[in-house]
Amino acid sequence: MSIEIRQLSKVYNPESDFPVHAVKALDLSIKQGEFVAVMGPSGSGKTTLLNMIGGIDSPTSGAVCIDDNDICLLDDKALIAFRRDHVGFIFQDYSLLPVLTALENVEFVMQLQGHSEQVCRQRATELLNQVGLTDQLHKVPAKLSGGQQQRVAVARALAPRPRFVMADEPTANLDAKSTSELLDIMQQLNEKEGTTFIFSTHDQRVIKRAKRVIVFDDGQLVEDKQQ
Amino acid sequence: MLVKLAWRNLWRQKRRTLLTSLSLALALFLSLFMRSMQEGSYQYNIDNSARFSTGLIQLQHPEFAQSQSIEDLLPQTEHFISLASALPHVSYRLPRIESFALASAGERSKGVMVIGVLPEREEQYSGIASKLVAGEFIATNDKSVLVGEGLAQALSLGVGDEIVLYGQGYRGQTAAGLYRIKGILHFPLAGLDKQLVYMPLSLAQTLYSTGEQVTTWVLHSDELSLIPAIKAELQTLYGAEVNVRDWQQLAPEMAQQITMDKAGGVFMMYLLYGIVGFALFATILMMTLERQREFGVMLATGLLRRKLLLLIAIESSFISVLGVIIGLAVSLPVIGYFYYHPIQLTGDTARMMLEMGWEPIMPMLISVRLVAEQVFIVLTLMSVCLLYPLWRAYHLTLVAALKGDNNGH
Repeated sequence: MSIEIRQLSKVYNPESDFPVHAVKALDLSIKQGEFVAVMGPSGSGKTTLLNMIGGIDSPTSGAVCIDDNDICLLDDKALIAFRRDHVGFIFQDYSLLPVLTALENVEFVMQLQGHSEQVCRQRATELLNQVGLTDQLHKVPAKLSGGQQQRVAVARALAPRPRFVMADEPTANLDAKSTSELLDIMQQLNEKEGTTFIFSTHDQRVIKRAKRVIVFDDGQLVEDKQQ
Repeated sequence: MLVKLAWRNLWRQKRRTLLTSLSLALALFLSLFMRSMQEGSYQYNIDNSARFSTGLIQLQHPEFAQSQSIEDLLPQTEHFISLASALPHVSYRLPRIESFALASAGERSKGVMVIGVLPEREEQYSGIASKLVAGEFIATNDKSVLVGEGLAQALSLGVGDEIVLYGQGYRGQTAAGLYRIKGILHFPLAGLDKQLVYMPLSLAQTLYSTGEQVTTWVLHSDELSLIPAIKAELQTLYGAEVNVRDWQQLAPEMAQQITMDKAGGVFMMYLLYGIVGFALFATILMMTLERQREFGVMLATGLLRRKLLLLIAIESSFISVLGVIIGLAVSLPVIGYFYYHPIQLTGDTARMMLEMGWEPIMPMLISVRLVAEQVFIVLTLMSVCLLYPLWRAYHLTLVAALKGDNNGH
């Protein structure tokens, strides 16, 4: 599943005297299985770009084509189905549902796809084992450390077998050890399952591990390099 | 999963959930208690008043309601009343003569209402003998009468004295007779007390020369709520030859008083629910506003908007159901206690009620309908309180919600 971005622009408050051009006429192509870091200073448009690729935000103009289908043309219901089936999200603050256990958080997104309880349980357990949380399955997020919560978030993002994972500054709240462990896990999953990972980050530890680094500034692509 | 999620979400803010449920429970308890007491009083007083005066239903000649004339009569035969007897919920069928006469004793005279009854059956129906303050109750073949205490005082009569009744009989005949007073009754309603003369039916028929005819057949049912249906059925059975009247037509003042009293109670009830409704609304709104980001994450990960609304609705339903359960758990034993031990009124209130012809007690009614009514009100209240939070959740803008913008729009 490849991502083709064509002349993508996003302007906030376009009618006002001071419109904000978050993304400016961006052309970009990301292939299946890439491990991409989008870096740039705060306010450079990284998160906006990820949101538009993930179908969370809509562009002012341009297209985001997933296997030649422009997701910008989808209605709300179709977009939800697209996100549910094809995109995994990892947020900076983990964003786990606080009342569900680690296992239930991972199961929840699979249940949205209509999988049976048994299938959900099996895959969720498997993923949480892979991210090293075998002993923490039945703990609620509040009982887990930040690193553990982010691992649950990774497992949750991967549970529905998405084609790509959007990770918005996933290591911003983690210490060096947790960051390293998390990146190991994501790299393994990227290599093993062929899932595309797209990070927005300014964490050099993440940038060093990325196979491709896209530098973004003022809504424009400044540099695109393979590592 | 949604149900599990909703249930657990409730207990994130235990105190808020419990306080909201308890406020609903309190409103339900107060409303149910008040309505049970109101309806219990109405039912008791309607039944009580009916037994001592009009009955719950009367069969009359079509002209009688207007004319109140002894000319407009119905047959006093088994054949005639057999149609009413066949109805399962009609428990009493009492023939009566009700007419007017001039009563005199010595130098004094007064207009009175003469009621001819079957004494034993009437006593069985209303326990009217308990109203005796002097003398004895009449028997079927007696040639004597009972008079109201007020009337006895007005005419300076006592037990054993004689009273002359004079009026117009059937088909223009003169109705006149001299009767010994066998007992004196006390009626709470002053109007009745000052003008009632009770006599055996056969004696009244002789006085008014009606033969085996009566002015009314009084019918009773132990199920007050069935009265409209019974009335309609009787009207169908008897057709245009008979006028079927219920207690509301027979005692319009009481019906009006009850309607007004009920309206006041219902107004208070809705006022109470209105106040509690704001608390419920605030809770539901808070539950949605403070979780905009969480909702955003759920939508981002593939939860359909309608399922998000369902989640909010389930959470609100849990609060309401909890309120209903607590409310009923408290209300039913309390109402049950007062059902068996009605509150006895004393002092001025008791006197006022007696003057209105009502017993000075506050009986309770245990009714599935009343409980269902309260539960329905709580659920409706919840539904109304849900509308705006649901609208907000439905129009949630994903990007704004994920940014944690409380407005999310």
